[in-house]
Amino acid sequence: MPNNRRIQKEKVAAYATVLVDSAYEAGGQDKVLEIRDQFERILSVVRSHMDLSNAMESSSYTPEQRKTLAREVFAQADPILAEVLAIMAERGDFALLSRVWDSYKTELERKLDVVVVDVTTVVELDDHLREVIINKTQADLGHNVVLREHIDKSLLGGILMSANGRRIDASVVSQLEHARNVLKDSTDGGEC
Amino acid sequence: MKMRAKKASTRLGALALAAGFTTLAFPALAFASEEESAGISAILPDMLEFIPMLVAFIILLIILGKFGWPKFEGMLEKRESTIKDALEKSEQNRIESERVLVEYKRQLDEAKDQASSIVAEARKTGEAVQADITAKAQAEAAAMIEKAHAAIEAEKKSALAELQGSMADLSVSVASKIIGEDLSDEEHRKIIERYVKEAGSFNAE
Repeated sequence: MPNNRRIQKEKVAAYATVLVDSAYEAGGQDKVLEIRDQFERILSVVRSHMDLSNAMESSSYTPEQRKTLAREVFAQADPILAEVLAIMAERGDFALLSRVWDSYKTELERKLDVVVVDVTTVVELDDHLREVIINKTQADLGHNVVLREHIDKSLLGGILMSANGRRIDASVVSQLEHARNVLKDSTDGGEC
Repeated sequence: MKMRAKKASTRLGALALAAGFTTLAFPALAFASEEESAGISAILPDMLEFIPMLVAFIILLIILGKFGWPKFEGMLEKRESTIKDALEKSEQNRIESERVLVEYKRQLDEAKDQASSIVAEARKTGEAVQADITAKAQAEAAAMIEKAHAAIEAEKKSALAELQGSMADLSVSVASKIIGEDLSDEEHRKIIERYVKEAGSFNAE
């Protein structure tokens, strides 16, 4: 007899699979990656707005009201993603959003053999740099890599890469911070 | 002997009293005989006068010996007893006084000794208290000095750490400024390439 945890897990996997498969059928890998990017932004918004997530999970609303609310809130998103989110809200599964996101990334990696690597730098990458980065990350991760490039001047220089919850921080600001900590912590005992 | 002397004096007194009484009782007879007699007879008593006088004297003596003298003797004995009692009492008082005086002197000496011991004890206690206070004051002073040293040391370390932190911040700030302003895009890309090649792996633990 399946317990509650297993049911939750199966639900999460079902939502993620539906999303990946529907996106792939609609537009191939690019569509899957596009929905991935939208999903990431939506997750960020939901996490930073407790009222929104509470409303989506609230039992004081009827399932139909929650579904309508989700459709209206995520109207700008891809229809596939908006529909899945609306169904989750209707069924009272919106609290599983983070787990669906993780499962979506796993499905993406498993079915398309693709890992999205977020790359942050202070200047735009040229083709040569992209090639270097892709070669390195593909060698590390063992999958095809798609880069998501971001510009952040606060890094001062260098590069910040993250994939599957792991990251490599080779930015100048982190190295300076490390140097600052070393300078502050390196005491000779205080005798002078 | 005392009793004998007392009896002799009693008899002489009785004679004197009898003579006086006779003289007073028969004054005319005495003057008559003085006028008529002469020579030795002048000094010898006339028998006619003498015998009544003697009889009167004896009667008087008997009366006095029978009734007067015992009362007089009783008075004397009473007086003697009173004086004797007074003397004995006085002697007892004197002895008691001497005893009390000795007692007082003893108590005074004891009080003096006690006072001396109290003073000595107080002095001893005072010295002990003084020593204790001094020791405590010295210990407190030492603790305060120790604390002050620790506080100074902590302040020194804090100041040094603060200075070191400030210098680190300043150095990093200057380095940040230099890197941020002086590097071109191409130089940034070269740095990125170098960092990517030197960076660790995603699979690294």
